[in-house]
Amino acid sequence: MLKEFYRGLPKDRAKLESEEHGFAFLERLLTDGVTLEYGELTSSGLVHKYKLANIPERRMDDLLFAHVEKVCNVCLYFDVSANDTFCFNLDNNHKVNSSAIIPETEAVVRELGGHLRGLGCEPLIVASGRGYHLWGRLEAAVANERLFDFMLRSAATALAAIHRQGHDHHQIKFSFYPDLRVHHVVSLRLFGSRHVKNKVFSRVLGPQGLLDETASWEFFADYLKNRTIALARFQTAHNSLLDLK
Amino acid sequence: MKTIAVDLDDVLNNFTETLQQTPFLRDETYALSEEVFQDYLAKVRGGWTESGSLLSTEYSFFRYKIHRRCYERAQARPDGVSFMHWLRQNRWRIAICTYRDLRRAQDCTRKWLADNEIPFDYLFMTGHKIAFCKAWGIEHLIDDEAVNITLGERFGVRVYYPAEKRRPAPPANPVETLCAARAFQTFDEIKAWIQE
Repeated sequence: MLKEFYRGLPKDRAKLESEEHGFAFLERLLTDGVTLEYGELTSSGLVHKYKLANIPERRMDDLLFAHVEKVCNVCLYFDVSANDTFCFNLDNNHKVNSSAIIPETEAVVRELGGHLRGLGCEPLIVASGRGYHLWGRLEAAVANERLFDFMLRSAATALAAIHRQGHDHHQIKFSFYPDLRVHHVVSLRLFGSRHVKNKVFSRVLGPQGLLDETASWEFFADYLKNRTIALARFQTAHNSLLDLK
Repeated sequence: MKTIAVDLDDVLNNFTETLQQTPFLRDETYALSEEVFQDYLAKVRGGWTESGSLLSTEYSFFRYKIHRRCYERAQARPDGVSFMHWLRQNRWRIAICTYRDLRRAQDCTRKWLADNEIPFDYLFMTGHKIAFCKAWGIEHLIDDEAVNITLGERFGVRVYYPAEKRRPAPPANPVETLCAARAFQTFDEIKAWIQE
């Protein structure tokens, strides 16, 4: 399912999040032509991140299997020109207690989810460590410029709505994937991950609230099968945003 | 294999000098007025940090952009470059270990290293260099950060720092181990120390 959902994302590169570290581990990781662009020791416990390149298909299969088994997290990068998935990354923008779901996050995920559903572009909303990821999956790839413009206008609509409700939009941080400016440097954790900071499974936000792990996988399967966005629908949705004055 | 971790900014390069002396000019990509640009620039040069509660702000983005330009423009220390070649010739494993955000700065960092013909094996970013060295079994760290200079020995990491970096004040708590880090005038001095 993961390979099908994320079919359009390049599979020859990834960021791996793991508690495993040390040069013996790294040398095992960097076989079959796999190369390390850089490594990172995060401030979230003793979690290491490895930006890998030149990953052969078989090794990516192994990594995805390890991801599902929760041995590690796999994060993928977006294609540099066009993608059939897009994602709003909504984070708590505070230095402390950044894992907390603050009222502004709740408000904006409600507004943005409603906005996208109103456009016929149902999002898959997944809890992340500091907020939510709102994924959209399209039946075919769309140019990054158009995806970015769609996301920018949609986010602005949601932020304007919470501003009118009296919330401070500076309390939250939006990132867009793919982002024209940094598409080659930022990656996103795939569904099924366990967040490095709070170790919590990436639960799906359903109509009645956050689902448990089993129900999240069922929701994910159903989304993949029934809620992939038709290209014509996406184009109509984007055009309607362009018409806003 | 013998392994050493080496910092970049104000160790292999002259980052602070570059930050203070480069005449940064405002352009439209900053999306700031001249007044705000100059105010922010003075704050970056002064090492000012925001006291607010937010992670990402207009100022933090500006600071990254200025720092990135310093990463690109900074000059390599000739004795540092020679030392890195000596490490390579003597079969040391070299880990570049930096606070830089390599998600955004990897490309310019690799280009700078290549342009200056500095050999290395791996690039790592971390805000916790002593913890990184401890976790990865690295006994030697060349770094200029006061906390690393002070605490390295306590965690089994031998730290070497540029002499122009003022030695940190002794710890207030007498239980703390004495700072055993060594200051170097030139990188050549480190060769003997890491072979002891």
